Amino acid sequence: MFDKILIANRGEIAVRIIRTCKRMGIRTAAVYSDADNRAMHREKADESIPIGGAHARESYLDAEKMISAALAAGCRAVHPGYGFLSENPHFARSVAAAGLVFIGPPAGAVAMMGDKIASKELAVKAGVPVIPGHVDIIKDEREALAIADSIGYPVLLKPAAGGGGKGMRIVRDPNEMESALASSRQETRKAFGDTRIFMERYIENPRHIEIQILADAHGNVVHLGERECSIQRRYQKIIEESPSPAVSEDLRERMGKAACDLARKTGYVSAGTVEFVLDANGGFYFLEMNTRLQVEHPVTEMVTGQDLVELQLRIAMGETLPFDQAALSFNGWAMEARVCAEDPSRDFLPSTGMITRYAEPRGSAVRVDSGVRTGSAVGIYYDSMLAKVICHGVDRESARNGLVEALNGYHVEGVVTNIDFVNSILCHPEFIAGNLSTGFIDRHFDGARPLSAPPEHDLERAALAATILYHVRRSAVRDSLRSITSSIGGGKDAAGGGVYTVRAENDVFDLRLEGAPHGRRWIFHARVNEKTYKVETPEFEFYRRRLKLKINDRIYRFRMRIEQSFIRVAFNGITRVFEIYTPREWKSLEYMPVRRPQEDADVLACPMPGLVVQVLVKKGERVFRGQNLLILESMKMESGVASPVDGVVAEVRVTAGQTVEAGEVLVRFTS
Amino acid sequence: MSMDTPFDTNLETLERLRAEAAAAGGAEKLKIQHEKGKLTARERIELLFDDGSFEEFDALKTGRGGALGDERSYPGDGVITGHGAIDGREVFVFSQDFTVVGGSLGEAHAQKICKVMDLAVRVGAPIIGLNDSGGARIQEGVDALAAYGEIFHRNVRASGVVPQISCIMGPCAGGAVYSPAITDFVFMVQDSSCMFVTGPSVVKTVTHQEISAEDLGGAVVHGKKSGVVHFTAPNDVLCLREIRRLFSYLPSNNRQRAPLLDLRDPANRVDPALDYLIPDNPNQTYDMNILIYSILDGAEFMEVQPGFARNIICGFGRLGGQTIGLVANQPAVLAGVLDNDASVKAGRFVRFCDAFNIPLIALVDVPGFMPGPDQEHGGIIRHGAKLLYAFTEATVPRISVIVRKAYGGAYLVMNSKHIHCDVNYAWPTAEIAVMGPKGAAEVIFRKEIHSADDPEALLNEKINHYRRTFANPFLAAQRGYIDDVIFPRDTRHRLIRTLQVLEGKTAKGPERKHGNIPL
Repeated sequence: MFDKILIANRGEIAVRIIRTCKRMGIRTAAVYSDADNRAMHREKADESIPIGGAHARESYLDAEKMISAALAAGCRAVHPGYGFLSENPHFARSVAAAGLVFIGPPAGAVAMMGDKIASKELAVKAGVPVIPGHVDIIKDEREALAIADSIGYPVLLKPAAGGGGKGMRIVRDPNEMESALASSRQETRKAFGDTRIFMERYIENPRHIEIQILADAHGNVVHLGERECSIQRRYQKIIEESPSPAVSEDLRERMGKAACDLARKTGYVSAGTVEFVLDANGGFYFLEMNTRLQVEHPVTEMVTGQDLVELQLRIAMGETLPFDQAALSFNGWAMEARVCAEDPSRDFLPSTGMITRYAEPRGSAVRVDSGVRTGSAVGIYYDSMLAKVICHGVDRESARNGLVEALNGYHVEGVVTNIDFVNSILCHPEFIAGNLSTGFIDRHFDGARPLSAPPEHDLERAALAATILYHVRRSAVRDSLRSITSSIGGGKDAAGGGVYTVRAENDVFDLRLEGAPHGRRWIFHARVNEKTYKVETPEFEFYRRRLKLKINDRIYRFRMRIEQSFIRVAFNGITRVFEIYTPREWKSLEYMPVRRPQEDADVLACPMPGLVVQVLVKKGERVFRGQNLLILESMKMESGVASPVDGVVAEVRVTAGQTVEAGEVLVRFTS
Repeated sequence: MSMDTPFDTNLETLERLRAEAAAAGGAEKLKIQHEKGKLTARERIELLFDDGSFEEFDALKTGRGGALGDERSYPGDGVITGHGAIDGREVFVFSQDFTVVGGSLGEAHAQKICKVMDLAVRVGAPIIGLNDSGGARIQEGVDALAAYGEIFHRNVRASGVVPQISCIMGPCAGGAVYSPAITDFVFMVQDSSCMFVTGPSVVKTVTHQEISAEDLGGAVVHGKKSGVVHFTAPNDVLCLREIRRLFSYLPSNNRQRAPLLDLRDPANRVDPALDYLIPDNPNQTYDMNILIYSILDGAEFMEVQPGFARNIICGFGRLGGQTIGLVANQPAVLAGVLDNDASVKAGRFVRFCDAFNIPLIALVDVPGFMPGPDQEHGGIIRHGAKLLYAFTEATVPRISVIVRKAYGGAYLVMNSKHIHCDVNYAWPTAEIAVMGPKGAAEVIFRKEIHSADDPEALLNEKINHYRRTFANPFLAAQRGYIDDVIFPRDTRHRLIRTLQVLEGKTAKGPERKHGNIPL
């Protein structure tokens, strides 16, 4: 048994590894960069060691610093987590060379699987199917047609250089080949100055299915079933589940066997994941192997009842796997959502700041793996993922329901998160039906908004919750004034009822509340448009931003917040600002002008937090709307920031190398 | 019964006059008013007050007609006055009716306003003015001017006795602006309203400058630049709602306390986030709003002048149900320095709270007064003194929490112990000193640093030395200038407990007519 290990990572995965170590009686040493001085993983570990600069390459990516830290702290082993150094064969080798145990596969396996071509060749040798394709450059149209015939339509033309979809063409029919090849070459030349094109079978509506395997140092290999990770945005997984609605018992067995065969062929040890593409006909093709613990490992843990980190540790200590394939069983369904600090309304730009309020969902079937708490700082330097919420259920629908409820009750303030975006995916009818593919978000969403309208009953419940909060808050004011209200004649009281017209974007609701306080709780008989609802409230505590209402005898959780005259509600993926009006106000509203949002035209405000890489203009320079004025780096991305106006630069308020906050004034203009 | 008995005739006459008053300027004018995106004077009153609670005075009053022989009289003379209830509490109102002679102010119009103002002061009820007027009724000549004067006179007499609220919901130009200017809070509706002493046409004649009414005196200008307006709203409906919201914080007069509103927020609620609020790096900023929204009941705060002098935050909140007036430096804007605008903004707010028995809480992170010729020549000495005077003079419970920087004169001004705040707390992150470490080190060790081999190294060493010695609250705590150094997370609890113990505070200054605030 290791007495102490170093965790060469940060955030939720570091915290999650520490949790298992604590349970096993293994002491832990954490590492932290300058930016993580107050980070949660530091507090959870038995000790923590500073490793330098905020930039990952000066800290979490610096193998030497990691190893010195491990040696200085007297650790016996190093757990790399995921990302950073976890799939760096040089690091795995250096750890071993320093006399420490690397909790992961042997360096050779890491290196081999890290090489796209070598890993594919190995898969072919192991008898694992790969996407049919042609590994050489296509010379001309004739050759292209011949190759396409051999691998079968539709095919995908793929530039050798670059990525990001540029120059890619789908060819469904031989007649299309000529023009597709020409345009692909042209685009590739423009984008990358290169015309080399490959070809492979195009998979329609592909699903991303991966198999979790475990291998010990004694030649035992098992698989722990599949995970479906088809819900992705720009190749980032967002929602994962196990099992997959697309995988039958038989398919699981065949995919599992393929994954184990590949692991054996590699001489693999520790936990690993073999990723496949699954086509609509049940054909599966090897993509790559991840030689580390995956972000989404908890869904496998929840359905198998195993602790993968514990097993990694035991395998690293040379123990034999405690079970064989036959002894493994799968129980129910698990689903995971990744919670990231990014702003869906601003094209998912990273959101930074201090988490000012934080409340995690709880429940017996809910697991939250989080790297943050109230007061945590979310910066620009690392991955934007804050936490994962995992929910278990007897079947897919109950796991999904549990996850939706959990996200309804997950309250994060200070940074903007994707929680409600994720919830809108989970509540999408096609997701509920299990019709997933890696193109799901492109097909069903426009940016962050679902293309289909949210279900009417969800909107009505949200409107109801908002109106009840507004109504009760209003009556609290009336109560507070009772002592100084004229007692002559007495006032006529509406006996706790109210009639409202509620507007949220283009939806309008007629709402009638009848009810009264019962102690500090209220019971309402409400009518929303033509439907009636019975609602029981808890004791109102207006500080809370989560409200649990019993509507028609079922509990629902809402996140809500009073914003001056309006109430913002988040519920089942719907986020709306509800404007609640009395009938008189509503009538008056028809005369009120519709205001167009006005911009502050004399300044350029920083669109996102980041680092100024370059300033492109000087004071006194004439600039035009749309012209890039400076280059900003954020989350490793450099982007130009354009002028909002035609005008003359009156003042440049930043210099290259400076970090800036969202909303900060970068440039001032005179028009 | 026959219809021509005198009794019936009078009833009929009343009905007819009432109908005339209700018809205001007639259907055509009402339609134009709506087309401008404005509600009518009567619609505004109905939205402002609880349903059916408005009672009108002087609906039948008319003018005497002008000296130019304009003998016509107008029903109600262009203004509706009376009283009604806001959440059950009686308030007086006057609402100018732009559809009747452009809401212009003549003798009878003003007499109606003066009547409700007098009554408001007599019974201790707030007064709200909804302004939508073309200005003085020129036909009445000096009578119209005299009428304004009567209103100004009453505004001043009522100041500090009952809350006075003005709401600009249309034009408000010329001498007319001085009534709102004297009142405690001015609301303004965007786009439909403007407010200036001289309008664009006069500006053009006199100074040859072309400027639109909106750019000269619109809600955006007054909300952000001039500081004339305290609250702006996108339309009439929301503006009237905001007035109701403000009232929930205020007492009806200077003899009352503000109403207690229990938002069911535990007094002993701790907020661990606050322990992390102050960045490690003293040059880094943070948002003071995080602290404000954390400590106040229900995380509710009504900010006054949110767009003006944003380096200081003023507004109303509640602690333990009790309304408090909060003044806080905002390090995220201009590092939270005190400048001319900030001093005047906070000074006036402090005096309102003091007049109406609202305890004051200062959250301090102030690096000093803004340096430079602009500020010096703009009278920072005069203006800074207003805030100093306002805090010092205030006799309501006064509490300060020093959160980070409290440097030099600005520290003294921000409700310090030395100008007799009742209780002064500090966070462990507080730095109480004459000036920042760099400046101090440069002054104290000037010669030493100048003659050193490596001046920069020595300067840094001296800066660090100074920082260790003074960049903490402990020296001040040893002297007793700080009553306690508190954990940031406990701030809410400590403030509520302190308000409780200060509840019985009575303070009276020496006998005098009035002090002489450096205006």
